[in-house]
Amino acid sequence: MKKTALLLFVTAALALTLRGTTLEDDPIRSLSHPDPVRAALFDRYQERSFFRDRVFVETGELTPAERERIAEALRAAGYREAGLVERPSADKILELAPLLPAEDVRRLVEEETLARRAREALSIAMLPGADTYLRELQDDPIGLGPAVLERLVGPSAASAAGPLLHGYRSPRPLDYEQVGRAYDLLVGFSPRVHFIGGDFFALENYRAVKHDILVCSALSLVLNLVIFFCFTGRWALLALLFLGSVVSYLVGLLAIRAFYTEVYALVLAYTSTFIGFNNESLVHLAGIEATRRRRSLLGIWSAIGTTFIGFLVLLLGRSTMVRQMALASLGGMIGFLLFLVPYRATLATVRFRGFAWPKLTLRPRWVAATCAASVLGLVIVGVPPVATRIEGFRYQTPTLDAQVAYFSRQLDALSLEDVVAVPAAGEPGDAIAPLAAAGLLDAARHPLAAWRRPAEQEETLRALRERYPMAVARLTALLAESGIRIVPAAAPPARLRVLDAWGYLEELGSLGPVRWADKVGGQRFVMAGLRASAHPPAIAGAIPVSPRHYYDQLLTALSRELGWLFLAGLAVMAIYLVILQRSASRALYAFAPLFMAALAFAAWARATGSAIHIVHIMGFSLVIALALDYTTVAVSNDHGDVELSKILLTGLSTLATFGVLVLARHPVLHELGATVVIGCGVSLVFALVFRLPPGDEDAP
Amino acid sequence: MLVALALIAASPPEITADALRARYREVRLLTADVVQVKEGRFWARPFESHIRLRYTPQRVTWETLSPVPSTVVIEGGSLTVRGPSGEYRELAGMANDPRFAALLRFLRALLALDLASLERDFVLDYGPGELVARPRPGPDVPLFTGVRLRFDRDLELVSLELETASERTRLTFHHVRHEPAPPRPGTPEAR
Repeated sequence: MKKTALLLFVTAALALTLRGTTLEDDPIRSLSHPDPVRAALFDRYQERSFFRDRVFVETGELTPAERERIAEALRAAGYREAGLVERPSADKILELAPLLPAEDVRRLVEEETLARRAREALSIAMLPGADTYLRELQDDPIGLGPAVLERLVGPSAASAAGPLLHGYRSPRPLDYEQVGRAYDLLVGFSPRVHFIGGDFFALENYRAVKHDILVCSALSLVLNLVIFFCFTGRWALLALLFLGSVVSYLVGLLAIRAFYTEVYALVLAYTSTFIGFNNESLVHLAGIEATRRRRSLLGIWSAIGTTFIGFLVLLLGRSTMVRQMALASLGGMIGFLLFLVPYRATLATVRFRGFAWPKLTLRPRWVAATCAASVLGLVIVGVPPVATRIEGFRYQTPTLDAQVAYFSRQLDALSLEDVVAVPAAGEPGDAIAPLAAAGLLDAARHPLAAWRRPAEQEETLRALRERYPMAVARLTALLAESGIRIVPAAAPPARLRVLDAWGYLEELGSLGPVRWADKVGGQRFVMAGLRASAHPPAIAGAIPVSPRHYYDQLLTALSRELGWLFLAGLAVMAIYLVILQRSASRALYAFAPLFMAALAFAAWARATGSAIHIVHIMGFSLVIALALDYTTVAVSNDHGDVELSKILLTGLSTLATFGVLVLARHPVLHELGATVVIGCGVSLVFALVFRLPPGDEDAP
Repeated sequence: MLVALALIAASPPEITADALRARYREVRLLTADVVQVKEGRFWARPFESHIRLRYTPQRVTWETLSPVPSTVVIEGGSLTVRGPSGEYRELAGMANDPRFAALLRFLRALLALDLASLERDFVLDYGPGELVARPRPGPDVPLFTGVRLRFDRDLELVSLELETASERTRLTFHHVRHEPAPPRPGTPEAR
C-alpha cells in the first residue's frame, strides 16, 4: 500500500513537471532538408510565401451579410485583415519604373491623363478619411507605381483577385476553439466560399488527433481490460498495467521534453499504443515458475532487447517526429520496467490460464527454406518503390482537398503552383531557356518576359527626366484649382537606373511574395514556375521550392533513410539473438514470420500499385519490436503451453491496441495501426502454431 | 417658468447605446443632404461641398453636387468613381488595400450606426447629445484619431466630425430620411 502511495506521488510529481508542455500540430514542420543549399533555397523562397501565417477567403458568391458574418467570426478568432500581399512602398515600386515602355510614360504625362487623374483625386478626396489617398498622390503624382504594377503583374492579376479575395494574418498562438468556429462557418457556406491556409490544416489535424487520442485510448483500454481479465481472472494485473502505463506515458513524455521543447500532437496520440508494449513486459515478467526461470528470462531478455534495439535505431533518423516517437517509446519502456520493480512479489504470485492446441513441428531446414523462399519471392515480386507523399502524412478532408484543388488552379494560372530554382551560370534567361524549349515552362508568363533591354530602359528614363517635372507641375496646378494642395518632388527620383536582368528579378522579389532570384552557397538561382504537367524531379539541376514537391522529395528521402536504418536494426537484432540464443536456427525461427510478412506486403504493394511510405517503415519497426517477442519467447520456453498462452494474451492485447488505430482519422495512425496488425498477426499465428523440434530447443 | 421650459427644451438629450440601437436597428435605407467642410494639410483652405448621401446595407452612394459634381459608389468591397464628365472607373487596386477596405467598413458602420462594428476599433463614450469614438489602443496606426457624432432630441444625426492625422472633416446633415421610419423616442417600439 505504501509503495503504491509513493508511486502515485511520483506519478503526480511527473505530471506536474510536464504541465504546460507545448504541442506542435503540424508534423511537416519537423522536416528539414539535409542538403543546406536545398534547405536554404526552400526556406528563403517560403519566407514571404502567400500562405505563411495567413489564411485567404474568397467570398464572391456571398451576400454582404454573409460576408460580414465570416469577417466577424475570423475577427473573433484573432485574424486581422491584411493585404493579399504586403503593400510595397511607392519608393520600392518606383525602382522598377525603367521597366515601363517609354510610350507608357508619355501616356501618363499627357494632358488628358493628368486631368482625369485630378478629377478622380477630387472625387475620392471628398470621402472622409481620404487624406491617405492624397498622401500617396503626393508621393507618386503621375501614377508610376500602379502603371509599373499593371505592367509586371498584369491588369488581370489585380482585378482577378479582386475585392472578394481577402487575406487575413493569423493569430499566434491559435485558439483552436475560436478558429474552429470560423472554419465551421466557412465550411457551412462552401462551395459558395473558398478558403485556404495552413491554420485550417492545423485545425483539422488537431481535431483528428484529439479524436484519435480519446477514441483509441478508451477503446484500447476497454479491450485490454476484457482480454486480461479473461486470461488471469485477477484485477491486480490490470491495475498494474493501467497505473504502469500512466507512468510509462509520463516518463516517455519526459524523455521527449529532455531534448525538445515542443511535442508533436501526433506523438502524443501514438503514446496511446504504449499499453501494447507494456502488456508484453508485464505478462512475461509475471507468473515465472521457479523451475523455468532460466528459460523465461532468456525469452524476456530476447524480447526486451530486440524491442530496445528497434527503438534505438529509430533515434538515428533525421525526422524530429520519428525521433520523438523513439524517445517516447524508450522512455516509456524504461519507465514501465522501473515501475514493475517494487511489484516483483505481486508479479510472482500471478498465474495464467493455460490453453492447449495442436502445434506443427517445423524442422530447422524447413524454417530456413521458408525464409529462403520468402527472399526468393521478394526478388521475383520485386521490392516496391519507396515514395512518401505529403498528402499521406497529413490529415486532409474532402472539404480541404476541394479548396486546395481550387486554389491550385488559381496559382497554376499565375504559374506559381510548381516553382523550381534553376542554377544559372550566366544570365537568368539563358538558365530557363532549356526549360522553355522543353515545353516545361511558359516563358511568356515568367517575369523575365517583362524585363526590357538596357537601351529601352534608357529611353524610358530619358522620357521621365524630360516630361516628369512638367507633368507634376500641371497636376499640382489642376488640383490647386479645386483647393487640393500637394507638394510632390519636382523631378523623378535620382536613383532610377537601368536594371540588369538579375537586378530586376531581385527588385521584383523584394516587392512581392515571390523571390525570383537567389544566391546560395555562391551559386545563383533563378526561379521558374512550371506548367502543371511538368514533373520537377525530372528536370536536371532544378530544385523544387514549392511545398508539395519539396516535401514529397524530402519525405521520400527520409523514408529511404529510415528503411536503411530499419535493415541495420534487423541485422543488429539478428546478431543479438544469435548470441543470446546460441543458435542460428532459433534466431531464424524468430525472424521467419517477418520474412513471410515482408513477402506478403510486397505482393500486396505490387498488386495494388502502392509504394512503401514512411509510415509503413515506422510500422515495420514496431512489428519487429513487438512481433519478434512472440517467436523469441516461444522458442526460448520450449513452446510450453503456459508461455504460449501468455503469448496469445499479449498478442491479442497488441492486436487490440493497434487494431483500434485502424479507426483513427489521422492517416499516419491509421496506416501505422493497419501495418502493425497485419505484421503482428502473421507473427502471432506463426508463434502459436509452428514449433521447432525439441532437440533444437536445448541450445541454451 | 418660460425660461425654465426653454432651458429644458434646449438641453441636449442623453445618448445611450440602447437608445441608438433601438433607433437605428434594421435601417434599410438612409438618405440625407450633407454639407461637408474639410480642412487640413492637403487643403489650401476650408473646403465646403454639398453632398447627397444614400445608404443601403448593400451600397453607399456619395454624390457630390457642388462645387465639382462626382459620384463615389461603395458596393461590397469595391469602389466606383464617376467624374463630372460621366466616365466610370472601378478602383480595384484600392479595394485590395486593407487600409482602404477598413475605411469602407468604417464608413458603412458609421452610416448605419452599427455600434457593435464601431466598438471593435473604437472606445465609445456616450454623453449629452453626442457620441465620441476614440481609437482603441493597438499595434495598428489608426486612420481616424477621433470621431464625434451629434444628435437632436429625436436621436436624428445632426453632425459628424472626423479627424485623421492630417485632416478634419465636419459633416452637417439635413433632410435625413430613414426606411423603415424610426420609432420615436419614448414609444414602446423604441424600447
